[in-house]
Amino acid sequence: MTFSLSQNLIQSSLPISQGAEAKVYKAQLTSGSPPILLKYRFQKKYRHPTLDANLTRSRIAGEARALLKCLRSGVNVPGIRMVDATEGILGIQWIEGQSVRKLLPGGAEDDGADNVDSPDVEDSDPLTEYGVSVDEVMNLIGNEIAKMHRVDVIHGDLTTSNMMLRHPKSFVPFNPNVTTELVLIDFGLSYQSTLTEDKAVDLYVLERAFSSTHPDSEPMFAKVLIAYAETIGKDWVAIKNRLDDVRLRGRKRSMVG
Amino acid sequence: MPGKIRKTPLIEAGRDYLALGLEGSANKFGAGIMKHPKDGAATVLSNIRHTYITPPGEGFQPRDTALHHREWALKIINDCLAKAGVSMHEIDCICFTKGPGMGAPLQSVVLVARTLSLLFNKPLVGVNHCVGHIEMGREITGAQNPVVLYVSGGNTQVIAYSRQCYRIFGETLDIAVGNCLDRFARIINLSNDPSPGYNIEQEAKKGKRLLSLPYATKGMDVSLSGILSAVEAYTLDKRFHVQEGAEDKDLITPQDLCFSLQETVFAMLVEITERAMAHIGSKEVLIVGGVGSNERLQQMMGIMAQERQGQVFATDERFCIDNGIMIAQAGLLSYRMGYETPLAKSTCTQRFRTDEVHVTWRA
Repeated sequence: MTFSLSQNLIQSSLPISQGAEAKVYKAQLTSGSPPILLKYRFQKKYRHPTLDANLTRSRIAGEARALLKCLRSGVNVPGIRMVDATEGILGIQWIEGQSVRKLLPGGAEDDGADNVDSPDVEDSDPLTEYGVSVDEVMNLIGNEIAKMHRVDVIHGDLTTSNMMLRHPKSFVPFNPNVTTELVLIDFGLSYQSTLTEDKAVDLYVLERAFSSTHPDSEPMFAKVLIAYAETIGKDWVAIKNRLDDVRLRGRKRSMVG
Repeated sequence: MPGKIRKTPLIEAGRDYLALGLEGSANKFGAGIMKHPKDGAATVLSNIRHTYITPPGEGFQPRDTALHHREWALKIINDCLAKAGVSMHEIDCICFTKGPGMGAPLQSVVLVARTLSLLFNKPLVGVNHCVGHIEMGREITGAQNPVVLYVSGGNTQVIAYSRQCYRIFGETLDIAVGNCLDRFARIINLSNDPSPGYNIEQEAKKGKRLLSLPYATKGMDVSLSGILSAVEAYTLDKRFHVQEGAEDKDLITPQDLCFSLQETVFAMLVEITERAMAHIGSKEVLIVGGVGSNERLQQMMGIMAQERQGQVFATDERFCIDNGIMIAQAGLLSYRMGYETPLAKSTCTQRFRTDEVHVTWRA
């Protein structure tokens, strides 16, 4: 019966978007309950069915496991509401807010497919609505990732699209001076590891995502690392050294000098 | 779409431009003549290639490949000019592959380019091989601003254009996918004619059983060497039998292995391409490089693109597999932007990343 239940839930939900891995819906478990977000890893037709089923099952389970571990350790992630690994459906807490990518300079420009020749219209800084500056966001990012790495969860796909800022109206902070909160989302490729290597690669993935989405991001990412170093503590030296190594990877780099 | 489609900074051709492109970074020597006429649309006047084919079980060695290129260069360039019906004197520039590729073959081709340049007093234009693939793919398919999956014997990269640079989103951390397939073809003694990858593809069509192989995506990158070891290990398995059509369920045939290898590595490639598309919000994907002519990969990519209401662009073997015309196309674009390689700097290099090139001809 699980089959029809999960599928029914999808049927009655509102489709939001389609990411790389899954379709995303806004749903309600019971009428009147707070909304939840459904992540449906639909069958990828391009993959061999056996391969696809194995990957889907292990990724849903892995995602739920990582979220749970983060929740227990006080990392800001959405809470889990339901899991159906065979169907590939994960229900998590609905977060009111905006993805960090859209809030940072350069991140929103992809949506301008229709205004082909118009010059960039600069509205007021979208971050003012959240009451934080770019530097503070970088601080939050570094801090949150460090908290996650401290409990040996590796995100696997850190990009600015996979972080959200909670809308100030949508939650009540413990500290009244805090206007927003950074939430890490999409743990679809996460896994657990104590290795310095994996943490460094995680940071490297984020660094590349920064440089490919946000122009002139080097100083921004440097601030992320400063905050990360502060929170992670004594492990930082090892991670930093490994990050320098990881940056040299990739093929056909110039080896002169 | 990633970014807006801005007007190209390329100045309209006030006259007809002709470029000769010479390519020889691996086991193919190719020459092609590209014309950019006054009215826009690029025209391929000729595109000729000769492949150095080694016996089954052997790869191509740099030294022998360079020898092959030296032996064939003049004949192919002459054929190429004759087919296009132009003389060397009409050519605007000579484009050659600067890198990346195998050292010795690159050197023998750049030597030919230099000699021609001095003989006919024509400027040289050094071209990045990967950028050549991308520009040719864009020209042939008409894709405006696609995510590019570049898969060949030496390269495996997911590329997206951003601010005058082809940025590498994901790539292989060890061996290239073509290398992985070719080496497996050698292990099971498939012919290298017309190409080992093609023969793997034909064998895979007969395979039915999906054997479990590692699935190694790491961030946006993939790792392929472990998969090669794993599939090789199956050939030492007691259940491995070479004869075809064995009905026994518990047997592993080379066809099954080809099938499993393709299914697994292509699924990984399509997955990282999809992630890049989702990340930058693009709906177009372009496949270039030798492995790009694999129909199963094109099919998988097509299904993925369809699920995202996107479109896949692929070219056939004439333009997918290394060729001279793509070097002419990319070279001519940069030549029209005023770029020339002075003789003293007309070197080649084995290491030359796609993202090192300043793409002046795009906005």
